[in-house]
Amino acid sequence: MSNPTKKKSIFKTPYLFLVPAIFFYLFFWFIPVLMSFIDSITAIGGGISLINFRNMFADPLFLQAFRNTAIFAFISLILQFVVALLLALLINRNFRGAKIFLFIMLIPMAIPPSAVGILWNTGLVQSGWINSILESTGIHHLLQTMGIVDGTIIWKQATNLQAVFLIILVDSWSVLPSVMIIILAGLQNFNKEFSEAALVFGANKFQSVKDIVIPIIKPTLISALILRLIAGLQVWLISVMIFGFRNVPFLLERVVFFTDRLRDDPSAYKIAVSYSMFVVAFVGIVALLFVKLTSRKDWRAASE
Amino acid sequence: MNKHIRKVLFYLLIVLISSIVIIPMTYLVNISFSSQLEVNDFPKPLLPHLGHDIKVEWDEGHSWYVVSRKSFSGEYKELNYLSDFDRVETYFRTYLNVVRTSEQYEADFLVARETGVPVFVHYNKTIFINYTKFFSIFDGAGQALVNSITAALLTIVLSMSIGGCVGYALARTSIKGKNAIGLGVLIVRMFPAISIAVPMAVLLIRFGMYDSMLGLAVIYSIPNIGLTAWITKSIFLSVDKEYEEASLVFGATKAQTFRKITLPLVFPAFAASSMFAFITAWNDTAISLLLTNENQTLALLLYKNMGGSASLHYATSGAIMLIIPALIFTFLTKDYINRMWG
Amino acid sequence: MAYLKLENLTKIFGKNGLAVDNFNLEIEKEEFVCFLGPSGCGKSTTLRMIAGLESVTSGEILLDGVSIIKDEPKDRHISMIFQSYAVWPHMSVYENVAYALRLRKMSKAEIDATVKEAASITQITEYLNRYPNKLSGGQRQRVAVARAIAIKPKLFLMDEPLSNLDAKLRVAMRTDLKRIHQDLHTTSIFVTHDQSEALSLADRIVVMNKGVIEQVGTPNEIYHDSETMFVAKFIGSPPSNFFKVLVSKSDNNVTVKHPAFAYIVKGPIADTLSKKYLNKEVILSVRPENFVVDPNGIIEVKCLIVEPQGSHLVINVNIGNEEAKVVTNILDIKTKDTIKLNFNQNIAFFDAETEHRIR
Repeated sequence: MSNPTKKKSIFKTPYLFLVPAIFFYLFFWFIPVLMSFIDSITAIGGGISLINFRNMFADPLFLQAFRNTAIFAFISLILQFVVALLLALLINRNFRGAKIFLFIMLIPMAIPPSAVGILWNTGLVQSGWINSILESTGIHHLLQTMGIVDGTIIWKQATNLQAVFLIILVDSWSVLPSVMIIILAGLQNFNKEFSEAALVFGANKFQSVKDIVIPIIKPTLISALILRLIAGLQVWLISVMIFGFRNVPFLLERVVFFTDRLRDDPSAYKIAVSYSMFVVAFVGIVALLFVKLTSRKDWRAASE
Repeated sequence: MNKHIRKVLFYLLIVLISSIVIIPMTYLVNISFSSQLEVNDFPKPLLPHLGHDIKVEWDEGHSWYVVSRKSFSGEYKELNYLSDFDRVETYFRTYLNVVRTSEQYEADFLVARETGVPVFVHYNKTIFINYTKFFSIFDGAGQALVNSITAALLTIVLSMSIGGCVGYALARTSIKGKNAIGLGVLIVRMFPAISIAVPMAVLLIRFGMYDSMLGLAVIYSIPNIGLTAWITKSIFLSVDKEYEEASLVFGATKAQTFRKITLPLVFPAFAASSMFAFITAWNDTAISLLLTNENQTLALLLYKNMGGSASLHYATSGAIMLIIPALIFTFLTKDYINRMWG
Repeated sequence: MAYLKLENLTKIFGKNGLAVDNFNLEIEKEEFVCFLGPSGCGKSTTLRMIAGLESVTSGEILLDGVSIIKDEPKDRHISMIFQSYAVWPHMSVYENVAYALRLRKMSKAEIDATVKEAASITQITEYLNRYPNKLSGGQRQRVAVARAIAIKPKLFLMDEPLSNLDAKLRVAMRTDLKRIHQDLHTTSIFVTHDQSEALSLADRIVVMNKGVIEQVGTPNEIYHDSETMFVAKFIGSPPSNFFKVLVSKSDNNVTVKHPAFAYIVKGPIADTLSKKYLNKEVILSVRPENFVVDPNGIIEVKCLIVEPQGSHLVINVNIGNEEAKVVTNILDIKTKDTIKLNFNQNIAFFDAETEHRIR
């Protein structure tokens, strides 16, 4: 693809193109990262120590934050993967109005976090529109007679695990489009004749998706999933917007909470930065495991 | 017959799924049109009320007008007791979003006092009034809007120029490590700005960029440069080298070729990826929360005012204004997004 | 009793996309039929309707006496070879061929025997453990064929399977396909836009244009006895020459007149012409090889371009104001030579309005 004889003539200039980017990342990303790391292993008085991490583990909300983050990330991942895949397969059928349907499905992705917060706040308050829907469709009455609920549902008083699931649903509403669109792109680059052949040779629609489509678009699926996994482990804003700080803790929520506090309490910063590094390590390990797990017996690798 | 039933069921499913997106949005729009009073209505209506049904009676004993409003259930609920038309005018404007003059109210209601018979009227709301009120109710909203636009434009300039260079270099030359970009993007994502916010703030302070739109643009560009580089790399790759070579053969210089041949071909996708940069800046809340003080972006302003349930309807109208650019962008680029990811 | 019967098969896409219009055809068992036509003529759509990959707007499909129109593709006892071969890249050649057999819940031993049998027929036994991306286009094509014959279907459907191969390979594969058909005797439908492919492979050819059947016949019939101008135009390489001529009668001779020549028509066709087309314009169709280089010829032309083809020459000439091509076995004609031409009796006449053959 690239012309070998051209290599010599512009040998010096290509790296010139990279210089601004390299400098940019060095200054504005790498140095803060380095500083964060150093701060995390430096005690307040000075000297290298792991005391900050000890303090982090001592935070009464640490365990909860860790557990909530893990549950949230993995369950969201599975839920969003399945739903996004189904939606993408649906849209790929190219029925009448598919383009409009696609646009509608993309709308949640376009909504900024603050607006999302407002949307769900107006929904989840006692007199909000979620309860309004349940009320006017009679579902609330149904749930009451079935004994599942007792009086008006006060969403914001959800207990920890219920709250996490609520956040999973709310977050999925906003995030599904971005997963769906990556899978959709993979499907549209997919040669239809592969699945048609499967249908001719004995597969029903489900088998053709399982045996043929998914294995072939695996790279696309993996890139969608890994982005989602990383982002899922970094959840915090949606929880804070609905429930406020501390009520439903997540790892990154702890980081922001303590960072916000540093004007009043300098030691809060150390805890924040320890949490930061912990999250990075957690994300890194999970991401690595994920990649290892999904690239075994890859026919593409095997044939290279 | 079977075929038709299946078709109907299919489209029913589509409508059902669509409503999961559309219904919350409808409620959001409704609330943005709500008057102060309607904020506390329960249940909230799905379709916006464009007006109010009002009943006015004269209470001789207290010497005031009893103003009632028809509720969801059809009954008239008493709202307020107002003794003169100036008070009526203020009340209707502030709590019901109805804008009329005192004289008009007098013309409508005086007859209730004179005849003792209640007067029934229907007033239309000035529905967009919340949107204009937004800028007066929330301190600094106008400036925040300007700030958001500034930050977004700066982000575009930074991301496209730096990222574009990288993308061009990777596409057109034989630098090694082209796949490293994907890995690089991933690694940068593992360190979200929030987690390295403090040293970033320190850095920005040192460069004099703390609490400035330029500082924000710099931070927004961090993930965007990688993304832009990747997108522009695939765009430049898709521009057939032979177009450029033909141009050179026919006598154009490299610069002319770039300007007249390459640029027009890559422009549409370029535009789309710069809009990505715009949206990142426009939508962000978290980073501006930590890295600005007084110079807020619109998204941040909204975030800070989310709490008060009394002003929720104004916040909602602000939210809608915030959503519109992103929505337009999504609509324009929905076909593009496939190509870029592919 | 026809093995495959297509009755009034119609396909309309959306509101205005009439792709196939009342397609009627009966195919006998073990027949090798070609659907031939230009892009967009509906041949692939018809094939896909038979396969069940495209829904039918109206009409009926009967295979071996049973209606299959409501069946899923997998239940129709058919096999298909796709234009892109559609050999699954994530499975080895063995697994590609075995996939359908696994789905039919055959025993491991049976699957193994069947796969090896199909592999030996298509000569891919040595690639069984390889992955498709390590195979050339031609090898992948043979995998597609092996996969198709392994399930021993009632009907083979082939959708332009040779179009993606280079010219030499295409001709070689053509022969292979014909050999397999002769060995296995499976009823086959082969879709192509290449008329030489159709002529060499088919027992019968169905020539299609704009969703409609122009003619159904053996290669000979299609070539020498074209029913419509479209067929005459489409078949044959180089294509047939067409001349607008005026039918006239002088004494007892029926003559067709052209600015560059006047030809006396003989035989029963002369009667038809004089009875129905006197003083009217008709189209004279002359295949390049229907010209005879004859010193007493009625047309004198200058050879503009001479293309030697080894065994014969293709000569571009001007007859009147029109370009025409002549094919002759006389090899010593050169550019700028002047030659005289006659017609042999294989010429044909077509109605100028309906474009149908005048007999």
